Amino acid sequence: MPNISSLQTPLSALRAHQRSLETTANNVANASTPGYRRQRVEMTTAVGEPINVGGVVTNSRAGVDSRHITRAADDLLIARATAEEANLASAEAASATLSRIEAIFPEPSDYGLASQLDALWGSWNELSTDPASPSLRFDVLAKATAVTTTLRRSAADLSAVTTGIREQLGVLATKVNDLTAELAAYNSGVIGQPNVPPSMLDQRDRLVNQLTKLTGAVVRVSEDNTVAVTIGGHQVVQGLTNERVEAPNGVLRMVRSGQVILPTAGEAAAMSTTINDIVPRYLAALDGVAASLVSTVNAVHSAGYGQDGVSGRMFFDPTGVTAATIALSADVAGQPARIAAGAPVLPGPVAPGPLDGNQARLMAALADSATGPDSRYQQMISNLAVETRAAKQRSDVQSTVVENALRDVSAVSSVSIDEEMAQMIESQRAYQAAGKVMATIDEMLGFLIERIS
Amino acid sequence: MRVTNSMISRTNLRNLSQSLGRLQDAQAQITSGKDFSKPSEDPARATSAMSTRKDIRRIEQRLRSIEDAQGWVGAADTQLSSALDRMVRAKEIAVNAGNGINALTPGARSALATELRAVRSDLLVVANATYAGRSLFAGTAAGVAYDGTGTFVGNDEPVIRDVSPTNAMTINVTGNQVFGASGAGAGSLFEVLDRMATAIEAGDRTATATEQMNLDAAFERLRGASAMVGTKWSSLEQLSVRTQDEKVALTERLSQMEDIDMVESLIQVKSRESSYQAALQTTAKVMSMSLLDFLR
Repeated sequence: MPNISSLQTPLSALRAHQRSLETTANNVANASTPGYRRQRVEMTTAVGEPINVGGVVTNSRAGVDSRHITRAADDLLIARATAEEANLASAEAASATLSRIEAIFPEPSDYGLASQLDALWGSWNELSTDPASPSLRFDVLAKATAVTTTLRRSAADLSAVTTGIREQLGVLATKVNDLTAELAAYNSGVIGQPNVPPSMLDQRDRLVNQLTKLTGAVVRVSEDNTVAVTIGGHQVVQGLTNERVEAPNGVLRMVRSGQVILPTAGEAAAMSTTINDIVPRYLAALDGVAASLVSTVNAVHSAGYGQDGVSGRMFFDPTGVTAATIALSADVAGQPARIAAGAPVLPGPVAPGPLDGNQARLMAALADSATGPDSRYQQMISNLAVETRAAKQRSDVQSTVVENALRDVSAVSSVSIDEEMAQMIESQRAYQAAGKVMATIDEMLGFLIERIS
Repeated sequence: MRVTNSMISRTNLRNLSQSLGRLQDAQAQITSGKDFSKPSEDPARATSAMSTRKDIRRIEQRLRSIEDAQGWVGAADTQLSSALDRMVRAKEIAVNAGNGINALTPGARSALATELRAVRSDLLVVANATYAGRSLFAGTAAGVAYDGTGTFVGNDEPVIRDVSPTNAMTINVTGNQVFGASGAGAGSLFEVLDRMATAIEAGDRTATATEQMNLDAAFERLRGASAMVGTKWSSLEQLSVRTQDEKVALTERLSQMEDIDMVESLIQVKSRESSYQAALQTTAKVMSMSLLDFLR
């Protein structure tokens, strides 16, 4: 027996399917929006008021309840993907830095430091065959200058890597502050709300994703729907407030407490490693090459005699024992005649004949030293190559891991056009059917009303 | 698993870019001619390539040392041979004078003495011979080995060349070794020749006989020095050949380490090119399909 309230049921159906169609439209519109999770209208049977008809109490049929729109998302999968993305960000950044460092040392080649060192030893060897030749003496100075120039430039290039990354870390701190401020704003928007709209959850995920990729931040969602964020164990978002961070001199730290943050993943982790470990390590290795060059060459040189019969001179400045400070000593710079090519006559140091080239010969033999600058440099290049390769492989592997994690997220959350089309047809048909029901009820009511009049 | 359009497009794009990257790597190898351009692409091979390059450069240095040593020793060998020739003549004169010095007229004795002095000055020229502007027999002293009077003004220091990793070869013989040191025993060859010329002129039979023995000893010494230089020469010859072979072998090894196998690389580029094309085609097909194509 129809009554006026019977119209409510098809009306709720019309509303529900219209909402469903709108949601489909929204899904299709965002089919390729990054971070968008597809939405669904949650349809449940509505529970109506109890009615007493002839002593039998039933609940009225109130149609369908379509108030809630949910998003298809698995928070665990999303969290895992975000964490892996943070690891990828740090692996990629580390790999990029190492590639940049590798590019500073063009080896193996005919123009890298290795060949310049060989050219230096070669020039000593040449000098040993004709110690009186001014041009060969000058050549030794020229080859040595080439080596010191390359060492200094390499050291400067290495330091420039750090400088660049310090600046990047400063920019990163600004971005982190923006993101934490936005997350605090999000918290104030959702606090105490029973249902957070899907679009806000998407926004939250996007912010968390960016923040995690930058810093490896750890995010926890509370029962009141707010998020709490820590970076390296330091609270940066809690409730409605966010703590600012800064990065003066390449150290990430909390603005208020001044505590140093040690990020465990994300770009910031790679930056910290670069500044505190990678660059200093290779700079130290390069300094080792320079120091070994200075000490071995000076030891041989100071025992020898120049053309003027004077012994005990240094070839490299003995105070410049780092790659950045290595230089020819003032004794020989611009004074080729003072280069000690002659070996003392034994027993007892006696000045050799003016055409003696034995000390130059001994100098040339330093090229074969297993602990000399050449082998140190080669060891350094070898270490760099292995480390760079490992970093690249790690980054490649991690990129596959991330790809799989993102696929798992997508499998749940991404929009399928086919599905949406099917859903659209379903909504359309259901809408048409509900309209038909409404028309029929209307007809029946009309029939009754006409009879009465 | 649920599969959606965006998943397909992302996976396909990733695979396409990987495929294109591999193609680019193969092409870069061909255009550069090198198997790897950075050590990190193959750390082990890059490290041995660095060592090999170093070895090659050391060998080149050694070859230059050997060439220089060969030039030096060759020049000394030639000079000592001509010195031996002149010594033979000096010995003949001595023998002639010794066989009946009393029967010779003063004029004949004077002629013999003059010739002997000429031989002496020829030998002095040999003793001051140079190689590349440097006296062969003066040790490490600058300038000539003997002054005009036949006094040694050089020194006895060795001239050494590193001709192999384990062999620092003394390439010179000094004037004292070749011609005898003044003040030791009978003195230098030039002193002996001087005294003999004087003895012949004076017709001093005893002195002539003594100096004849001294001359024989000097000849033996010279021959010994010449033989020593000859030995050095032949061992340098062997070293030169061996070192050059070594260089060729090392260069070949470096090429094997660094250079690409052209045929293999070309085939690789071709196969990667076709796999990239195949990926492009299937991607284009799959990605253009959806339910929309079949709804009306």
